[in-house]
Amino acid sequence: MSANFDAFFNEIQAKLGPDAVNRSDETLTRYGENTMPGGDRRPAGVVYPASTAEVQTIVRAANAHKVPLYPVSTGNNIGLGSRSASTAGQVIVDLGRKMNRILEINDRLAYCVVEPGVTYQAITDELMRRGGQLMLDVTSGPPQGGPLGNALDKGAGYTPYFDHFGFACGMEVVLGNGEVLRTGDGSIDSEHLVNWHTSKYSFGPILDGLFTQSNYGIVTRMGFWLMPRPPAVQSFHFTFPDDDDLEEVIELCRPLKMSNFVPTLFRVANDLYLTASEGQSKEYGSGKSLSDAGRRALREHFGLGAWNVSGAFYGPNEAAMAPMIQRVRDHFMKSGKARYIDHEQAESIPTLQVAINAFSGTPSLGELGLLKWRPGGGNIWFTPGTPMDGKIANEFQHLCRKIYDDHGFDYTVMNVCGARFARGLHVITFNREDAGESKRADACYRAMAKAFADRGVFVGRAPLDYHDMHFAQTMPGFQQACTAIKQALDPNGVIAPGRYGIA
Amino acid sequence: MRTNFTAAQLADPAIAEADQILQTCVHYGFCTNACPTYVLTRDENDSPRGRIDLIRGMLEAGGTPPAKTVHHLDRCLSCLSCMTTCAVKVDYVHLIDRARTYIEQHYRRPVADRAMRALLAFVLPRPRLFQAAMQAGRLAQPFAPALPKRLRAMLSMIPAQASPDILAPDTYPAEGARKKRVALLAGCAQQALNGNINAATIRLLQRHGCDVVIANGSGCCGSLPLHMGREHEAKGFAQANVDAWSRDAAEHGLDAIVVNASGCGTTMKDYGHLLHTDKAKSVGALTCDITELLNHIGLMTPPNPRGYRVAYHDPCSMQHGQKVIDEPRALLRAAGFQVVDVPERHFCCGSAGTYNLLQPEMAEALGQRKAAHIESTAPDIVATGNIGCMTQLGRYLGKPVVHTVELLDWATGGPLPPALEGVPLPEPSVVQTQAAQPAADAGFW
Repeated sequence: MSANFDAFFNEIQAKLGPDAVNRSDETLTRYGENTMPGGDRRPAGVVYPASTAEVQTIVRAANAHKVPLYPVSTGNNIGLGSRSASTAGQVIVDLGRKMNRILEINDRLAYCVVEPGVTYQAITDELMRRGGQLMLDVTSGPPQGGPLGNALDKGAGYTPYFDHFGFACGMEVVLGNGEVLRTGDGSIDSEHLVNWHTSKYSFGPILDGLFTQSNYGIVTRMGFWLMPRPPAVQSFHFTFPDDDDLEEVIELCRPLKMSNFVPTLFRVANDLYLTASEGQSKEYGSGKSLSDAGRRALREHFGLGAWNVSGAFYGPNEAAMAPMIQRVRDHFMKSGKARYIDHEQAESIPTLQVAINAFSGTPSLGELGLLKWRPGGGNIWFTPGTPMDGKIANEFQHLCRKIYDDHGFDYTVMNVCGARFARGLHVITFNREDAGESKRADACYRAMAKAFADRGVFVGRAPLDYHDMHFAQTMPGFQQACTAIKQALDPNGVIAPGRYGIA
Repeated sequence: MRTNFTAAQLADPAIAEADQILQTCVHYGFCTNACPTYVLTRDENDSPRGRIDLIRGMLEAGGTPPAKTVHHLDRCLSCLSCMTTCAVKVDYVHLIDRARTYIEQHYRRPVADRAMRALLAFVLPRPRLFQAAMQAGRLAQPFAPALPKRLRAMLSMIPAQASPDILAPDTYPAEGARKKRVALLAGCAQQALNGNINAATIRLLQRHGCDVVIANGSGCCGSLPLHMGREHEAKGFAQANVDAWSRDAAEHGLDAIVVNASGCGTTMKDYGHLLHTDKAKSVGALTCDITELLNHIGLMTPPNPRGYRVAYHDPCSMQHGQKVIDEPRALLRAAGFQVVDVPERHFCCGSAGTYNLLQPEMAEALGQRKAAHIESTAPDIVATGNIGCMTQLGRYLGKPVVHTVELLDWATGGPLPPALEGVPLPEPSVVQTQAAQPAADAGFW
């Protein structure tokens, strides 16, 4: 049976009101836009639920009329698909317009509970309004992004609470069959839920993970743990002059994270990741990657290195952290190649201020500037990881740098380093208005994805264009399990069919 | 974004500039969630990138703009929140001003609309006329129910009390040794609404060692007509100011041109772009917000600091237009006040020059939203840096809003701001002169 869109939209309008549906030409065009090489994906319409019950109404109607839905929360998802659906013709369920309430903030137990449309900025504003005792880990992306969507896509930040899914606790989900599920300790059949957002592991299987990078349900509420806001944050930064210094950098970072002496993750960014935000490529149009001389000039202009390391300490005041800063400084300086930039200096360097904001739980805009490195608005993110082994990390650098060069793009990456693993945030910026360059960007991504998969390394978050390709890289057992779960929870396949490759 | 202008169209420098701006927009959409009108309506045409598309279509097609385009462009606040958030730094302010001018020149509005716009553009920049118009408006208020809706809305916005003080050209000497000689933009509508802002500014500057000049020939900055698309009139006002201050600077020397109405400051800093002359550029470069200058000079130690909890509202022209964000907060803290940020501070209060007169419904929604956020901070006092915001917030808060300079003047020896006379204030908290350190008493820390 094929989808009956008119019947679906009529039912939604009748049940949720006329302004719950938008099918204007401009809206459909814009919701289909994205930054990927594969082109835009015009949806069939946009619906705006205001509550969990309304989401249930939408999902049930979608089941009845065989209409595919595609839920989005807030923010931009730039480089990963924007607000585009997996395929053209799906109906966007925009949860951000009306479901944007902070449902609870528990100051004593330090957690908040939010709807999908709540932004990082909104939570930060509310925490500051309440006296600034707590902070939420944020991304270095736009302040209008939100924790719920980010956590469900396995996004991360930089403070000790960096793992957004790991520091989430308790979800409410409308499953593909229209039923509501509460996860964690919220699963008890009671009106009085005490530990929904304080404990996730009491009884039964941990279902929360099913709703990350998948399409089994629409999460309508989620709890997040908050960190006591430290009175003082003291960052430290080191630059290294040569590309191959990455090997040593990783070796230097690992013990500091393994022991947790440094509480934040390390941001290990290459020259372009930091300097691209300050302007547009002067060599764009050559068809080649930025020359070594061009990179050197940028490094000199901004006082940065081929690799740039940032981390931070928390404490009651600056003086209390001075000995820790000194230890880190001694540790890095023994390499003989590092140059130290202190917190005060870094505050006047916009690209390092981004790091300070991220370590401080302050949403900021600075990093978005790197999206204008090339004209034409194309960008995709490639997010493989490396073990915290300097030799392997450096091999991966060589591998990626060559593939970027082969395709005429500019190697732009930040490794976000923990104790054992670093996620490599590679951005390919390209001119999407140039068909040839778009094609090359696509080929570049695919070449890197293949090269890494051949070495047994998977990506994290992935652009929508490549969900099928990456899913095909998984083992058959994984694919069968995903399909079986889909059939159990969303038998008609109405929620985001194709997202992360799950049909 | 690709554009399709003809060579003939691009021969017009204004279109050529618009073309360059249009091409920078790549539809990332960061602007959408930061745009107050889009957040209220979720109509793509009420978002910055939607409007950019409409402007492109209008300018490329030439001729009479479609009514739909005019409707959505009229609804833009020019708050410039989109420019703060834009990743590729689209120069939206100059694009929307160009579009407004184009509409004014090529679109025939309904008679009532035209009459109202002409009236506002003529009256508001002339303080004595505006003062008289407000008095006439107050007399007409009892008959408001019988009047057309728009006029009714306009009458309802006349503040119950105004304290006009229209300044003549003069020089107010520095107290003690002179550190600087500065010109003050006396302004237009502000003088008719609240004369104490200029009075407090002058006292404050004198106390901090500045000669303050009201230059002969200076007046309205041109911002109000500019944002109504009346570029020619705006240029006339701007040119008069440039001439007045250039003359004064040449004769006596000027260290700064000080503005205490931030909407004006944004326009004046951009005089170089408006007039394309070296003199205009020099005037733009000399222009600064009063808080920028005072922060540079350093606020004197307040003799009688009062630790009231002050909710500081960022005017869009300061936070987005001029990026003057930290200075007012630092000064208020230095004066002894506890400064609290207002949630959703990046959003406009709905004042936006003549916006609340021309788009009363959208302005009311934004005014109420902002007032609720301010109330949520439980402030003793509400302060901001622009007369438009003061009027709009006062209306929706139902209580007085003061200008930052009035509090700084009070803290450093000036009188209680008149708006606070008779307002019961709680016992002020212990004065804190350092920037607030969050959570100093929190748990482990």
